[in-house]
Amino acid sequence: MSTKTPLKLIAVAAVTLSAGSAMAFEPSKSVEFIAPANPGGGWDTLVRTVSRVLQEEELAEQNFAPINTPGGGGAVAWAEVAKDEGNDHMLFATSPPIILVPLTGSSRYDHSDFTPVARLSTDYITLLVDADSDYEDIDDLMEAIRENPGLSIGGGSAPGSMDHIAVAGLAGEAGIEPGSINYVAFSGGGEAMTNLMGGHIEAVVSGASEAVGLIQEEEGELRALGVSSTERLGGELANVPTFEEQGLDYTFDIWRGVMGPPGMSDEAVAYYESLFEEMLETDGWADARDRLGWIDAYQGSEEFGEFLDAQADEFSDILRELGMVE
Amino acid sequence: MESLNNLIYGFGIALSPMNILYVFTGVFAGTIIGMLPGLGPISALALMIPITFAMDPSSGLILMAGVYYGAIFGGSTSSILLNAPGVAGTVATSFDGYPMAKKGQAGKALAIAAYSSFVGGTLSVVGLMLVAPLLSKVAVSFGPAEYFSLMVLGLTAVVSLSDKSLIKGLIAAVVGIMVSIIGIDRQTGTERFTFGSAHLLDGVDFLVMALGIFALAEVFYMLLRGGGGKEQPRNAIGSLKLTRGEVKEIAGPMTRGSILGFFTGVLPGAGATIGSFLGYSMEKRLAKDGDTFGQGNIKGVAAPESANNAACTGSFVPLLTLGVPGSGTTAVLLGALLVMGVTPGPAMLQDRPDVFWGVIASMYIGNIFLLVLNLPLIPLIAKILDMPRALLLSMILIFCMIGVYGLNFSVIDLYLLLAFGLLGLAMRLFGFPAAPMILGMILGGVMEESMRRALQIAGGDWSVFVDKPISLWLLVIAALSVFLPLIKKAIKGLRLRHA
Repeated sequence: MSTKTPLKLIAVAAVTLSAGSAMAFEPSKSVEFIAPANPGGGWDTLVRTVSRVLQEEELAEQNFAPINTPGGGGAVAWAEVAKDEGNDHMLFATSPPIILVPLTGSSRYDHSDFTPVARLSTDYITLLVDADSDYEDIDDLMEAIRENPGLSIGGGSAPGSMDHIAVAGLAGEAGIEPGSINYVAFSGGGEAMTNLMGGHIEAVVSGASEAVGLIQEEEGELRALGVSSTERLGGELANVPTFEEQGLDYTFDIWRGVMGPPGMSDEAVAYYESLFEEMLETDGWADARDRLGWIDAYQGSEEFGEFLDAQADEFSDILRELGMVE
Repeated sequence: MESLNNLIYGFGIALSPMNILYVFTGVFAGTIIGMLPGLGPISALALMIPITFAMDPSSGLILMAGVYYGAIFGGSTSSILLNAPGVAGTVATSFDGYPMAKKGQAGKALAIAAYSSFVGGTLSVVGLMLVAPLLSKVAVSFGPAEYFSLMVLGLTAVVSLSDKSLIKGLIAAVVGIMVSIIGIDRQTGTERFTFGSAHLLDGVDFLVMALGIFALAEVFYMLLRGGGGKEQPRNAIGSLKLTRGEVKEIAGPMTRGSILGFFTGVLPGAGATIGSFLGYSMEKRLAKDGDTFGQGNIKGVAAPESANNAACTGSFVPLLTLGVPGSGTTAVLLGALLVMGVTPGPAMLQDRPDVFWGVIASMYIGNIFLLVLNLPLIPLIAKILDMPRALLLSMILIFCMIGVYGLNFSVIDLYLLLAFGLLGLAMRLFGFPAAPMILGMILGGVMEESMRRALQIAGGDWSVFVDKPISLWLLVIAALSVFLPLIKKAIKGLRLRHA
C-alpha cells in the first residue's frame, strides 16, 4: 500500500539536485486542480472557491483550472493522479475520505501515495435531534443509546465513512461499544435530515456548517446536541456547547486541504504552500470562507503530512472496533 | 388574500428589468441544456455558482431556477425526436412521443409536450404558492418504509408497459433491477458486481442505459431493417395545431398529470420519474383507447410531460420550506443559496420574503417565456428529421456518445453504452419491452435501499411496511393496480368463451 520510501528517496534526491542552484518554482502553465467528485459537492466547492480567490486576488500568474474527476468516492481521481508521478502542475482537493476510503478497501491508493501540500480549513460535526425531542444534551442521547442500542442514527454517507466514524468515535468516548451503534446510511445529508424531521430516525450526524439553517433559535426544526470542536463556534452555532464542555473528551475535524501527485518537487511544494498561506490572508478568502461556514486551519506540507498519518491511525482504530477492517 | 398580496409583492421583484432578463436567460439556457442529453441541469447549475456569487440572492435563484425548469421543459425534445431521453423524468415521454414523430406528427408531439409542460409548470406554481408550508409536512412524512412502498407502486407500471407478454416485461424489469445493484452498496460499503473496476464503483449511470436501450437500439434496428428507399420519407413534421377534440382529449391527462407530478415532486428523491411513469400508466388505464398507448397516443405525451414539469416545481417545496434538498439539482441550488448568504428553511419566509416570493412569481413568467420560446422553435428543431437517414443515424450515434462520455469522461461508459445498445436490439428482436427495464433500473436502487433502511430502523421487523398507514395504503393501491386488470381480463375471457 504505502510508497513512503520511494517518496522520501525522491525528496532526498530532489534536495540534493537542487542544492546550490536554489531555483524557485513557478508554474509555467496552468495548474490542473482536480475535484475528485462531481460538481456541487464539498471537494468541488473547495476547488472552485480556491481557484476563484487566487484569480481575483491576483496571487498567481497561471490559471488554476478546476477539473471534476468523479467516481468511486474519489478512487477514480486518485488512481489518475497517482500515475502522474512528479507532475508539478497538478493538485487535488482532499479531506477525510482520502484516509477512510482506502481503509475500507475501495481504493488502491491512500494518503501516503501523494504529496501533502497544505491543510486549509476545517468544519466540525454536530449531532442533531428533532426540536421537540426529549434529548436536551448529548448525555441524554448517549443514555438512551445505552438503554436501547437499536436507536437509529442517520448520516449522509456509507458505513465506515466520515459520518459513521464520527458518531462511533463519540459513542466510544461515552463508554458505548462503537459497533453497537445502529448507523443508518442515507444517500445524502439532506435525506437524513428530512427523515429526522419526519420522526423516522432518532438523530442525525452532520457537518456543522450544513446544519446552520435548521437549528435557528425559534423557527428551527432541529436541535443540535453538541459540536466536535475544542471551542464554541460562531454565528448561529454559538449557543451549541462542545462535546468537551459536556464531559466527553472528543473532537472531530472535517478538514479540507490540497495534495499533489507522488514525487512533487520540493520547490513546487514550497511554492504552493506559501501561495495558499498568502491566500488565507486575503479578504476574498475570508468572505467565501465565512459564507461557507469553514474555519481556517492552515498547516504546511510537513505538518499536514504528520497530521494525516495521525488521522489514519485514529480512523483505523475506530474502523477496527467497528469490525470494518481486519 | 394574503397569498395574493405576497404574489403581487413577488411580481414586483420578478418584473424588474434585470430579473426579467435573468428569467429569460435562465429558461433559454435551460431549454438548450435540456435538449442535449448528457448535459444535465446539475452540472450546468454547479458551473453557474461562481456567476451568481456576487448577485442579489433573489436574482441568483431566479436565474438558476429558470435553468432548472427550463431544462426539464426542453428535455422532451430528444425523447420525442430521437428516442433519446436525456433525463430520467422524460423517459416516459418517449413511449408515445417517438412513435408520433415516426408517424410524421413530430410537430404535434412537440407542441403537446410544450403545452403540457406549460400547464404542469404553471399549475404546480399555484400549488407551491398556496400549500408549500403545509406540504413540507407531507415531504417529511415519507420515511424509508413509505419510499419502499412507493417504489413498489411505481414498479406496477411494468404491467402497463409490457406490450404483449407480461412475463417478458417482468424479465426485463428484473434485469433492470439487477443493473441497479452494480456499485458500492450504501448500507454496508460492499462492492457488488464491480469486477474490481473503479469505474463501476458508482454503478451504471441512468443515461448510459437509457441512451443504449432506447436510442442506440433504435439506430441498430433501423440499420438492420436496412433498405434505403423502403421507408417513407419522414420529412413531414406535421402541423403543430391541435384540433378542438384533441385539446379536450388531453385536458384531463394534463391536469391529472400536473397534480400527481406536483405531489410526487414534493417527496425528496425520484419525484419526476415516478410522477411521469405513474402518470403515464394511470392514463393508459383510464383511457378508453388504452391499447393505442405506445403507438403514438397524444395522451401518452401529455400525461408524463405535465407530470415531470410539475414535479420539478414540487421539488422546490422541501428546499424552500425546510431547507433540505430533495434531489441532486436542488442540493446544488441549496449550496448556491448558502454561498449567496441566504439560508432556506422555515425562517426564510420571514427573513427573505423577496427570495421566496420573487422566485415563485418568476416561475409564472418563466413558464410563459418557455412556451413562447419553444413553440416557434419546434419547426426548426424538428427539421432534424428531414436529414438523410444515414446522416440522422450517425448524428444520433455521436449525440449519444458525447452525452455519455460527458458524464464521467470515461471510455468505459462508451463500451457500456454499446453493450446496452446491442442488448436493446436483441430485446427488440425477441419482443422484450425496453421500458420495464429502465423503470426497474431507476426504481430498483431506491427500492432496495429503502427496504433495507426501513428494516434496519425497525430492527429487522418486516411488519413495518404494513404498520405505517401511508406505506400500507401504497401497497394496497399497488396490489389493486396489478390484480384488477388481470381479474377484469379473466372475467372478459370467461365471458368470451361462454359467448
